[in-house]
Amino acid sequence: MTSSRVGRGRHAHGALVEGGTTDRDALGMGIVRSARLKPPPRIPSWVLKVVMAVTGVVFALFVLVHMIGNLKVFTGAEHFNEYAHWLRTVLQPFLPYEGLLWILRIALMVALVAHVWSAALIWRRGRASRGRHRRPGMWVKNFTARTMVVTGIVLLGFVVFHVLDLTTGTAGVAVDTFQPATPSTAHAYENLVSSLQRPWVALAYMVSMLALFLHLAHGLWTVVSDVGFTGVRLRTVAWWVAGVVALAVMLGNILIPIAVLMGVVA
Amino acid sequence: MKLVMDVWRQAAPGEAGHYETHEVDDATPEMSLLELLDRLNFALVENDREPVAFESDCREGICGACGITVDGIPHGPQQNTPSCHQRLASFHDGQRIRLEPLRSAAYPVIRDLVVDRSALDRIIVAGGHVAVPGGSAPDADALLVSHERAEQALDMAACIGCGACVAACPNGAAHLFVGSKLAHLSLLPTGRQERGKRARAMLNEMEQDFGPCSLYGECAKVCPANIPLTAIAAVNKEGLRSFFRHKDD
Ligand code: HEM
Ligand code: FES
Repeated sequence: MTSSRVGRGRHAHGALVEGGTTDRDALGMGIVRSARLKPPPRIPSWVLKVVMAVTGVVFALFVLVHMIGNLKVFTGAEHFNEYAHWLRTVLQPFLPYEGLLWILRIALMVALVAHVWSAALIWRRGRASRGRHRRPGMWVKNFTARTMVVTGIVLLGFVVFHVLDLTTGTAGVAVDTFQPATPSTAHAYENLVSSLQRPWVALAYMVSMLALFLHLAHGLWTVVSDVGFTGVRLRTVAWWVAGVVALAVMLGNILIPIAVLMGVVA
Repeated sequence: MKLVMDVWRQAAPGEAGHYETHEVDDATPEMSLLELLDRLNFALVENDREPVAFESDCREGICGACGITVDGIPHGPQQNTPSCHQRLASFHDGQRIRLEPLRSAAYPVIRDLVVDRSALDRIIVAGGHVAVPGGSAPDADALLVSHERAEQALDMAACIGCGACVAACPNGAAHLFVGSKLAHLSLLPTGRQERGKRARAMLNEMEQDFGPCSLYGECAKVCPANIPLTAIAAVNKEGLRSFFRHKDD
C-alpha cells in the first residue's frame, strides 16, 4: 500500500480512558476504524452537483438571452410588442401558437425542480457532514458561496412574482391595466412599463438582479469544477466568463427599471 | 510572552467536551503552537493534572499527524502551514486563543485535541494506492513521462493527509484530499491502469463520510501541502469519466 497515512505511527500525549478500545488502537497502531457515518446515498453528491451545474447553465443561458431580448424595450413600444408577438408565433405552422414558449417553459420548469431539489439535498448533506460545530470566521471572498441558498430563495420568489406579474397577469400582483397577449397582438411593453412604474416593483426587481448577479458569479465558477475542468488556461477563461456573464445580465436588466423610473421609457 | 488559552477538554469519544482556560507566561514568539502545548502540559503534569492530548509526529510538516483548530481555523492563523510550523509570533502578548480539535462529523474526538481520522484512511484503502504489479524496474526511458506531467503529479502527491481541508470546509467535504489523490495517481502510467475503478471506489467511500463541495475555497487556504483548488475539479472529472467509460482503466 502506498498510502501516506496507513501504518504511520501517531503519538498522542496523554493516555486514553478505558472504554474507547477501538479508538485507542486506531490512534496508536494506525488501525482503521470501519464504522461509516452513513450508507452510500442513492444519488451521490457529486452527481447532484453535475445536475446543479447543467440546470444552472440552462438558466444562465436563458437569463442571458432573455436580458438581450429585454433590451429591445429601448427600441420603442411597437418594436418590443412585435418581438413579444414573434416569440409566440415563431415557427408557425410547425409549432402551434406559443409552441416555442411552452417548450421553453416546460424545460425551465423541469430544470428548476431538479436544481432546487439538488440544492436542498446538498445543503442538508453539507450540514450533516459538518456536524455540530459550525465553521466560523470564513473570509470575505466566499461571501457569494455562503449566500447561495439565500440568493437562490430570492430568485425563486422573484420567478414566481415575475410570472404572475407579466405572464399570467394575476390580479393583486399585476397592474389593473394588464392586457394578456392574443394570437394577433401582444402588449408586453405597456404591461412592463406600468408594472415598473410602481416604485416597490422596480426596487424588488433591482434587488433580485443583484441576487442573480451574486448567484451567477459563484454558480458559473462552480460549474467549471463540477464538470471537471482542470486545465489552468480553461479555468482562467471560465472564471472571467462567469464574472462577465453575471455582470452583463445584472447591468442589462437593471437598466430597464432605472429607465422607467427616470421616465426615459414610458 | 503570555498567552491565555481556552482549550477543548474531552475525556473520551461521545462525551460532552468543554473549554478549560489556561495561561502560559513564558512563551516566546519563535515557539511553535505544539511547543506551546508542550509547555502547558509540562506545567499541568507538574501540578498533577491531566495533560492535554494532541497529536504530532515529525514536527516538520511532512507526516500530517498534527492539526488542531485555532480560533476556528484548522492548523492556525498562518495560511498553508501545519500546526507544528505555526509560530506564536502570529499572536500578540496577552492574546486569548481558542484551541479545539479538527471539527467534522467524520472526525470523532478521541480525547481533547485528538480526532480519529479513520475516514480518510478508508478512502485510501478503497483506492488511494496502486495495486497492479509493477514488475522489476524498467529502463529509465522505457516509459516516457513528460517533465510537466511528472511535476503535476508531484504537486498533487504532496498531500500529507492531515485532513485539515475537511475541517476547514463548512460542508465537511473531503474533495481536496480525494481530488489530489485521484489526480496524482491518474497522471502516471502505473496508476492509470486502475483509473476508472479507483475513481468509483474512492468516490463511493467518500460519500459515506464526507459532504458535497460548494466551492468555498477554505480547504486550499489551510492545506499545508499547498494543494491547489484545481484538485477539487479532479473529483468530478474522474467521477464523470469512470461513469461514462465504465472500464477499469
Ligand atoms: C434564475 C435562476 C437561477 C440560476 C440562473 C441559477 C444558477 C445556478 C448555477 C449556475 C449554479 C452552480 C451550479 C453548480 O453547483 O455547479 C447554482 C447553484 C446553486 N443554486 Fe441556483 N440558479 C437559479 C435558481 C436557484 C434557485 C431558485 C435556488 C434555490 C431556491 C437555487 C439554489 C442554488 C444553490 C443552493 C446552489 C449552490 C449549490 C452548491 O452548494 O454547490 N438556485 N445556481
Ligand atoms: S507533526 Fe508532522 S506534519 Fe505536523
